[in-house]
Amino acid sequence: MESIRQLESEATQAIKAADSTASLREVELQFLGKSGSLTLLMRQIGQLPPEEKPVFGAALNEARKRLEDLLAARTAALKGGERAQQFGAERIDVTMPGTLPRTGREHILQITANRVKKVMGGLGFVYYESPELEYFKYNFDALNYPPDHPAMDAQDTFYVSDDLVLRTQCTAIQGRVFEEFKPPFRYFTVGRTFRNEAVDRTHGHTFHQIDAFMVDEGISMAHLKGTLRAFASAMFGGDVKVRFRPDFFPFVEPGVDYAISSPRLFNGKWVELGGAGLVHPNILERYGIDTEKYSGFAFGLGLDRIPMMNHGIDDLRYFLENDLRFLEQFA
Amino acid sequence: MKLTESMLRDMVETRLTAEEIGDLLTMTGFELEDIEVVEGEKVLDVNIMANRGDGASVLGLAREVLAKDPSAKPTSLFKGLADWTPPADADAKDVNGLASVVIETSDCTRFSCRVFSNVSNGESPAWLKERLTKIGQRPISLLVDLTNYVMMETGQPMHAYDLAKVPAGKIIVRGARAGEKVKTLDGIERDLLPGEMMICDQSRPIGVAGVMGGEETEVSATTSACLLESAHFDHRSVRKTRKRLGLQTEASYRFERYVDPEGTVRAIERFGQLLAEAIGATAVPGVVDVYPAPPVRPRLRLRPSRASALLGMPVTADEIERYLTALGCTVERQGDEFAVTAPTWRIDLEREDDFVEEVGRIHGYEKIPEALPIGTTPMGGTHGPLEVIDRVREALVRCGLTQCISHSLRDLHALDAPGGRTIVRNPHSPEMAHLRNSNLPCLAEAAQRNGGRDLQLFEIGRVFSPGVEKPQLSILLTGALDQPSWRLKDRPNADFFTLKGILDRVFAAVGVDATWSLPKETDLRFHPTRSAELSGVGIAGQIHPDVAEACDLPSDTVIAEIDLDGLTRLAPSVTHFHSVHRNPAARRDIAMVVSKDVAYEQINAAVRKAAGEVLEKHWLFDVYEGRGMEEGHHSLAIALQFRKAGNFTDEEANQVRDSVVAALEGLGAKLR
Repeated sequence: MESIRQLESEATQAIKAADSTASLREVELQFLGKSGSLTLLMRQIGQLPPEEKPVFGAALNEARKRLEDLLAARTAALKGGERAQQFGAERIDVTMPGTLPRTGREHILQITANRVKKVMGGLGFVYYESPELEYFKYNFDALNYPPDHPAMDAQDTFYVSDDLVLRTQCTAIQGRVFEEFKPPFRYFTVGRTFRNEAVDRTHGHTFHQIDAFMVDEGISMAHLKGTLRAFASAMFGGDVKVRFRPDFFPFVEPGVDYAISSPRLFNGKWVELGGAGLVHPNILERYGIDTEKYSGFAFGLGLDRIPMMNHGIDDLRYFLENDLRFLEQFA
Repeated sequence: MKLTESMLRDMVETRLTAEEIGDLLTMTGFELEDIEVVEGEKVLDVNIMANRGDGASVLGLAREVLAKDPSAKPTSLFKGLADWTPPADADAKDVNGLASVVIETSDCTRFSCRVFSNVSNGESPAWLKERLTKIGQRPISLLVDLTNYVMMETGQPMHAYDLAKVPAGKIIVRGARAGEKVKTLDGIERDLLPGEMMICDQSRPIGVAGVMGGEETEVSATTSACLLESAHFDHRSVRKTRKRLGLQTEASYRFERYVDPEGTVRAIERFGQLLAEAIGATAVPGVVDVYPAPPVRPRLRLRPSRASALLGMPVTADEIERYLTALGCTVERQGDEFAVTAPTWRIDLEREDDFVEEVGRIHGYEKIPEALPIGTTPMGGTHGPLEVIDRVREALVRCGLTQCISHSLRDLHALDAPGGRTIVRNPHSPEMAHLRNSNLPCLAEAAQRNGGRDLQLFEIGRVFSPGVEKPQLSILLTGALDQPSWRLKDRPNADFFTLKGILDRVFAAVGVDATWSLPKETDLRFHPTRSAELSGVGIAGQIHPDVAEACDLPSDTVIAEIDLDGLTRLAPSVTHFHSVHRNPAARRDIAMVVSKDVAYEQINAAVRKAAGEVLEKHWLFDVYEGRGMEEGHHSLAIALQFRKAGNFTDEEANQVRDSVVAALEGLGAKLR
């Protein structure tokens, strides 16, 4: 029993004297480890007379428990100090610049087109592309333009030959879709258009359009209005209202100019977005579609105008200049 | 078209303000572009739709107001014009000795004229000058001003000739003959093409029909008798001639958009009435009116049920009848349907759905509810080849490249692809006459715009060569790949292998294993010994030093050009899964000394073949040349990683390694 007291006293001394967690660990091994002195004492228990065994064992366990508690307390005290020292030595200036990963980015028009594709896809419209250098017949004739009509004046056209023009409107997909597919269907495109116009902040000779149309049974102007509202709400946010104003486009009847109003844009002022209407029955008939059974709607708008409105971009010319100081502003 | 508030109020009585009238017109389709106060009066500027020539008159716009505003009332002036009947003396023959008309072309539908004698062509009365000035027209003389004013009122263009200058008052409407010329009112002598419609006297053209009169027969201060022309010309013919002459006038603007052929004599009468008010009656009795074949408007069926179905809002039969009647249509009920005849001034109303639009327009589009279409919905979104291009772009962005979007129309450039070009016949400017046949020139310019150094750019866009348009990917990398940083002492520059790694990734993103080979054809834009063809759909490499100099780019710039249609064709529609073993991999490294004449691709193939299926991957982790190495040789250190179902023993792994070594020895390599 004396040996227990003596060892406990020695161990207590050693624990108190240890000045680091490392030396404390050594003390722990010396007394409590596999071959520590206290552990060895435990093994002697077998040699004791049976009546002394419980008393000796209990005393030894109590001593061991006390030492373990002492060790834990001492470890915690020392560790705190040591970590504090470590942290002091490892201090960095977190305000120094971070290392930038190699990041690519899409062009703002692409980001906009991606969003359009997501929204139109969600409305059940299939993405379709047709040539930028288009046959005159798809750009005009297939869209019910009478030969030599003043409606073409609004679209001064770049010609490559008598038959080939740089498309002036993405509506040119219609004829190709009608030749390839039978209704019911819903298609849309996002693409580049060209008009031989003077260039300024809001006009370019090269710009981009979204054009969508669908043909099904019982399609009306109400479906057009509902679809435009869903589309515009997704693109511009807020509680969007849609307003129709009569307008003339040869490929729709009735034809309208549509405007939207959202509290998030220009304090809710009406903003004209594009042209729309019901697909002209002459076009449906041209492609052998029964106008008593089917009707459809079509709408178009400028792609470039969407980021202009959403981000307050005031000059169309930024879009095709590829100045990274401009492009990097858009995630 | 501009009109003063008072001109409109002469025809319509309404409580609406000028601004409200403007809004109303906008909602009928005649968009109010501007409203401004000129000399104390509001002047409306209204945009006329290309198919609504009738709107280019106060009469036409007044009709829209009357149809749309239930409280508006027509004035006596409106009623007089709208319900006009030919004058009592229309058939009088007195005029026959003074004027005659022959029409020799089918492009002239009608030619009416009247003679006014004892006129004095002085200044117009103050009210007339004032109104014309307010709408931006310069008063010239009474006769000219009246033709212009009556055109504004009724939409009918007219022209006053000095009768004394038209021999025998004989007018012939015919196509121009080869070599003929006419000096128009603006003083320009114009060469005419055969067939262009002219107003002629017995021997020569004296005016361009529907566009502009001639200088030699124009009225002047000394004119004492005037021949007043009020005709109807085919809109296509007028448009063609005015476009060729580059001569847009108030008259041609209206004829192109269609003028009511029934209104010619009415306009003459209105002119006579105003002339009489100004200087007393001078009209010679009788009108010369040649009108070979008055057009007949068909009666068309209109079903109220169809109107409601297409508009998506209910419209009653009574409402339909009221709206169409107000617009001048003849409407007859036939059971549940209508038989409708469009007025002579509305050639845009050709079929049932055109009347549906009229009904909707007047009823008000604001009443249309919103609904989403149901019915058959295809799988929306992007599918097939177009989706492959999306994945290519996304992979490029993941690789750290920035997307550019540039003009398709441009000038020639040192980086243009070889081959023929597509050229615009009527370019915006000579620098924008060529359609790009490569996106590389665009990227070179984008690089210069952004400092010319340390850039990783790509563009996906259509490129054009004669008869072919296709989507192309171009890449341009130059200088350091990373941003300058206090942490990176050494910033690696992009080189051929950077570009190769990116393209391998991009091809892999669409399921294509890129194969690289020596270019089959020389492309002068590329460094001849540092460029390669890949998978038969593109070329990649360092820029040719001469081209780099020509476009002021660093000589270590690397570029690539990929045909995306070609890549799309290579892309599999399905990527097949192969199983993943959970057992640990075994790795063996080998270093082989080999002649530089042995292409790495040969070594690659030998490794793959020798190691077989257990080869999970292998990679080149060191290349050593120089000291201790035989001339023309280098040492390649290759890591081999094996894996299979079940663990590899050391012995098994060594066996695979040994067979790889043996295969490489077959290529003349020696284990180092």
